[in-house]
Amino acid sequence: MASTNPSATDRLSRQRTYRRLMVGSIVVAVLLGLGLRALGQPLLGEAVYWLGILAFFGIWFGSPMTLFDERDLAIERRASHLTLLLAGAVLVVGASSVRVLSTLGVYEVPPVASGVLYGYVGLFATFAVVYLWLRYRP
Amino acid sequence: MRNDVRERRERHDLSQADLAAAVDVSRQTINAIERERYDPSLELAFKLAAFFDCRVEDLFHPSLDADAVDRAVRE
Repeated sequence: MASTNPSATDRLSRQRTYRRLMVGSIVVAVLLGLGLRALGQPLLGEAVYWLGILAFFGIWFGSPMTLFDERDLAIERRASHLTLLLAGAVLVVGASSVRVLSTLGVYEVPPVASGVLYGYVGLFATFAVVYLWLRYRP
Repeated sequence: MRNDVRERRERHDLSQADLAAAVDVSRQTINAIERERYDPSLELAFKLAAFFDCRVEDLFHPSLDADAVDRAVRE
């Protein structure tokens, strides 16, 4: 059996700290940003928001260790897949309903709902491009 | 997938955190493997086997359909 590193648990603990800092920086930045906007300081709020985003990526890429392992990536893939399935169901049912209701003149769909559906179409178009690139790249 | 990770880890008096650190994954990943809720990648399976100084097939026991394996081999 290979030997274990005595500082092994320290490393896991530091890894956890980095991950908490990443999530914390985003949460704090968003809350502070919203607060500042509510207080009539929208530009300052936006600056704080971006500071949080930069801190998130700074910690992610600047930390001296791998923060996410293969199971995290597997969960991310599964979550993405389920999200796409859900979005697909909403698009299929939603788009059809909108067309039928508009044609029959029963209900005029508000622009925001059409915007959401076009957003989903954009999402699937992007997915198709990325999928084809991954499948046929040399 | 059925596996002997927990038995081997406990036999060596290691915590999940020790094993996780040794193969460079999180403690939760080791826990998920032991509870058969996550199948590790080939790379991690080999790392675990190397750590316990055994073969991958000594550590993991996939429930293979023998007929399906035969068909795949013949094709």
